[in-house]
Amino acid sequence: MRKNETILDNIDWSLILLYFVLTILGLFNIYSASYNEEFPSLFSFSQEYGKQIIWIAVSMFLGFIVLLLESDILWKYAYWFYAVCMLLLIAVLFTREINGARSWLGFGSMGIQPSEFAKLGTAIAISAYISNMNIKLQSQSSAFYANLIVLFPMALILLQPDAGTFVVFTSFLWVFYREGISYDFILGFILRLIPFVDHTRIKIGSNFIPLLIVSGILVVSTLLLSQTTIQFFGMTLPGFWGLIISISVFLILALIVARITVMLRERKKLYYILIVAAIASSSLVFAVNSVFDYLKPHQKERIELFLGLEEDPDGKDYNRNRAMAAVGSGSFLGKGYHKATLASPQQGHVPMQSTDFIFCTLAEEWGFVGGILVLSLFVVLLFKIIQIAERQRSTFTRVFAYSIAVIIFYHLAINIGMTIGLAPVIGIPLPFFSYGGSSLMSFTMMLFVLAKLDSERKNVFR
Amino acid sequence: MNSLEYRKFVVLFFIAITAGVFSVRMFYMQIIDDKWKLRAEEISKYKMTTYPTRGIVYDRSGNKLIANETYYDIMMIEDEISNFDTTLFCQLFKINKEELVEIYQNMVDKQGKDKKGKSNYRKFKPYPLITGLSSDDFSKVATELQKFPGFFENVRTLRKYPQNSGAHVLGYMNEVDGTDLEKDHYYRMGDYIGRTGIENYYEEDLRGRKGVQYLMKDARGNISGSQEESKYDTAAVPGRNLELTLDADLQTYGELLMKGKIGSVVAIEPSSGEILAFVSSPTYDPNLLIGKKIGKNFLTLQEDSLKPLFNRPLQAKYPPGSTFKLVTGLIGMQMGVVDSNRAFSCIKSLVNCHGHPTALSMSDGVKYSCNPYFYQVMSRIVQQGKSRNIFKDSKIGLAEWYEYVRSFGLGQPLNIDLAGDIPGFIPDVEYYDKVYNKAWAFSTIYSISIGQGEVGVTPIQMANLACIMANRGYYYVPHLVKSIKGKDISDRFQEKHYTKVKSEYFNPIVEGMWRVVHEPGGTARRAKTEGLNVCGKTGTAQNPHGEDHSIFIAFAPKDNPKIAIAVYVENAGFGGTWAAPIASLMIEKFLNGEVKQEAKEKRIIEKNFLTDPSIH
Repeated sequence: MRKNETILDNIDWSLILLYFVLTILGLFNIYSASYNEEFPSLFSFSQEYGKQIIWIAVSMFLGFIVLLLESDILWKYAYWFYAVCMLLLIAVLFTREINGARSWLGFGSMGIQPSEFAKLGTAIAISAYISNMNIKLQSQSSAFYANLIVLFPMALILLQPDAGTFVVFTSFLWVFYREGISYDFILGFILRLIPFVDHTRIKIGSNFIPLLIVSGILVVSTLLLSQTTIQFFGMTLPGFWGLIISISVFLILALIVARITVMLRERKKLYYILIVAAIASSSLVFAVNSVFDYLKPHQKERIELFLGLEEDPDGKDYNRNRAMAAVGSGSFLGKGYHKATLASPQQGHVPMQSTDFIFCTLAEEWGFVGGILVLSLFVVLLFKIIQIAERQRSTFTRVFAYSIAVIIFYHLAINIGMTIGLAPVIGIPLPFFSYGGSSLMSFTMMLFVLAKLDSERKNVFR
Repeated sequence: MNSLEYRKFVVLFFIAITAGVFSVRMFYMQIIDDKWKLRAEEISKYKMTTYPTRGIVYDRSGNKLIANETYYDIMMIEDEISNFDTTLFCQLFKINKEELVEIYQNMVDKQGKDKKGKSNYRKFKPYPLITGLSSDDFSKVATELQKFPGFFENVRTLRKYPQNSGAHVLGYMNEVDGTDLEKDHYYRMGDYIGRTGIENYYEEDLRGRKGVQYLMKDARGNISGSQEESKYDTAAVPGRNLELTLDADLQTYGELLMKGKIGSVVAIEPSSGEILAFVSSPTYDPNLLIGKKIGKNFLTLQEDSLKPLFNRPLQAKYPPGSTFKLVTGLIGMQMGVVDSNRAFSCIKSLVNCHGHPTALSMSDGVKYSCNPYFYQVMSRIVQQGKSRNIFKDSKIGLAEWYEYVRSFGLGQPLNIDLAGDIPGFIPDVEYYDKVYNKAWAFSTIYSISIGQGEVGVTPIQMANLACIMANRGYYYVPHLVKSIKGKDISDRFQEKHYTKVKSEYFNPIVEGMWRVVHEPGGTARRAKTEGLNVCGKTGTAQNPHGEDHSIFIAFAPKDNPKIAIAVYVENAGFGGTWAAPIASLMIEKFLNGEVKQEAKEKRIIEKNFLTDPSIH
């Protein structure tokens, strides 16, 4: 009976719809962001908007092929896909440098960026590897190989160099977190070096990843507060004390809550964890602050510039400054379609406004409303993918879905974040919006592979 | 594996938090905080002010007194220079390579450095490389310049004073300061404003109105188009041209005659109050105070001990000397204390006098400039016997006199159309009460009867007095503007001001003035000019700073006068010797268009009181 069901019956049309909406919005945004008065038609194939139409057509064709293929191919040949991607990443290192990086594999005037496809290849490989692991997957060697699958392309990408894609690959940590891959073997290795600590008793497991992120937030906060002071009961204290005080207050509140809600049996252990966490966080804050004070002025300046504390609007900070001015000038409803005065090709104030800084044109022309709308569409897409992930019986599909969710999320967070001054300026495309064939094809295939896998969720148990 | 399912919430939570933070951030950046909007304006918009041409100023016969001269700066944008042929460029501007390097270096240095010691010079911005080329010089290089990419011209205009004269009338312009910016929001830093003279008084007419163009600026700082279809743009409105009452030839001639002398010459057309010449000596070339050289030249002029910047006709207060006897005589007749046929003997014990026949009438009194004559007229004005108390009596008389004198435009600013005219001084009852503790009578104050003592007047007031004599009893407020293009001149310049002395009483006085010049024994025989019927009155004002001031007021011809004039030559002695011939030469020049009395002219032009202080 199931055999009679076609793919069309089981496919998640809302996912496909979201894809179409984002892609079409993206196309029209490029039409404005790289508009050339000499070629007013959207179908001017010499222009970026005309070319993007071709890329959309090619991408959709590829997506269509994906839907027609047997999904067995994916997991059967997962490592072959991965291998091809890695070979391309190696091949690209032997090309000529363009703008200080070897990222393009050219065929005449056309070219592809292997690093865009490497994300997809790596996602498939990781899905295959994790779904093939048995229940004892917490073994050190499994964790090691899973990490290796990610680290290998990262190393190759660093050689190009392409900092943006490198950072995106770290998103796989979230996949490992969800799948419970433990980092205790690495932590144990480090903790072994510290005297009086019994590393064998520390079992953090895959919680290492959120801890890492919380630590990151603490480090950045400490640096941001390093040049400030706060008033506390009449005392003038360095800014980072605000963090220490917050941690202390948080600890006290947590202890009170724990006393009320947690059973006596469990309470002692929880107290212990909370106090250790508070001491560890405070120590981290102290340590970061001391190191920062110890730095030489030029090193401090670089960090401050990176964090946006020191402005150099016409120098090192040029791109971010122009991008933020474009976004800020959009106001509530924007200046109107084709009416950008900063993120427009004629004025050229915002660099790369059709690729890395594509969000500027959107935010300037459609304002807060347009920005929020697109941001919301992405959030809906991400939630949808995670919803799809969690309904799978197949580990392969779930891991794959999580992989593409976090990849898209990282692209979104870094790309939009850098135009609103919340992320460092590292060039990565905004999925479906930035001009470029490689990224569009790669993201399209990610979604269509997911749609294909998802459509078989009922008849596959793997 | 189900034990790990809760972790989807951690991932979802993280995504949601990020989206939330981004939304708040965008809301703040785009809606609440203005910082980025202002930054965007700064980056992408350019409000270009278009400057109107300033009004041109002509004299009464259409000669240009103030013109605009166009200058060209050669601008360069270093980034846009390509295939630069140094040799050809140097040839074009007639400089050598070393000079070119130096000019370039100066231009870069001029931009200053930021706080980190880095130059503010930007290769993508335009800067003036060669400045101040005249139109002629520019036209020689204009076509060739197009062959040098990255170079283009920028037009500027500066004021030019083609007659090189009339500095005190025309005034000068300089850059606005903080006070100007506060007073009038029309001005922006770097604008020029008329500081003195006509440039100042008619600033609002001359300046026109600036226009505004709202433009777009691209990333290189180049103008890339207009904003919103130029909806809010306004065109510059050119300044109004002015026609002055001044006669450029007469003005220049007056300045020539006054060379080497300190003082003033003011000539007015009595029938209209139009100022024909306005000479303040020593003067300076108005072209010295233009553009960038103003700072240095202004300082030099300011430090000059002869005070060439001082506007003497408006601001120098002198005693009127014997010219004031005209006023005394007129008031005496009007008040009825004397009549025109009254004789007074020349009693030198009352007040010193020179030897002359007895004045048998008012006209004789004027002709001989007899001091005791006007002493006795004035004593009858002040002491009319209306009170038995001599002190009270003198107060009644002086108060009446004061009102009459004021009606001659004395003791108050005339409010001509130049800023800064001073009131001069005519003593009143209150003043003497204060000085003499209320115990004063004519005998205390008699020197005012002959224009000495406390009486103080300006040369412009004296010229106005000459007009009153010429008009037999009225004057127009002297003024410099004849017409303003597209606008009427002020009504107050067309209003007759009558003195409180009836017209009929002027005849004997005017008769006396004619005789001063034309009859033997008159004090100003040197002013006689064939066929011109000059009427005048000499004055010799004592002053504490040295030799007497030589004064002469006159008008001509006697009937239907065309010109009235006042001449002051400081420390030059008797009025008839220097001031009178200067006045007559001016009158001749104006009425005949040329001067035939060459010996007289030569004597005046060659006389230099600054190098040769002896009088004759």
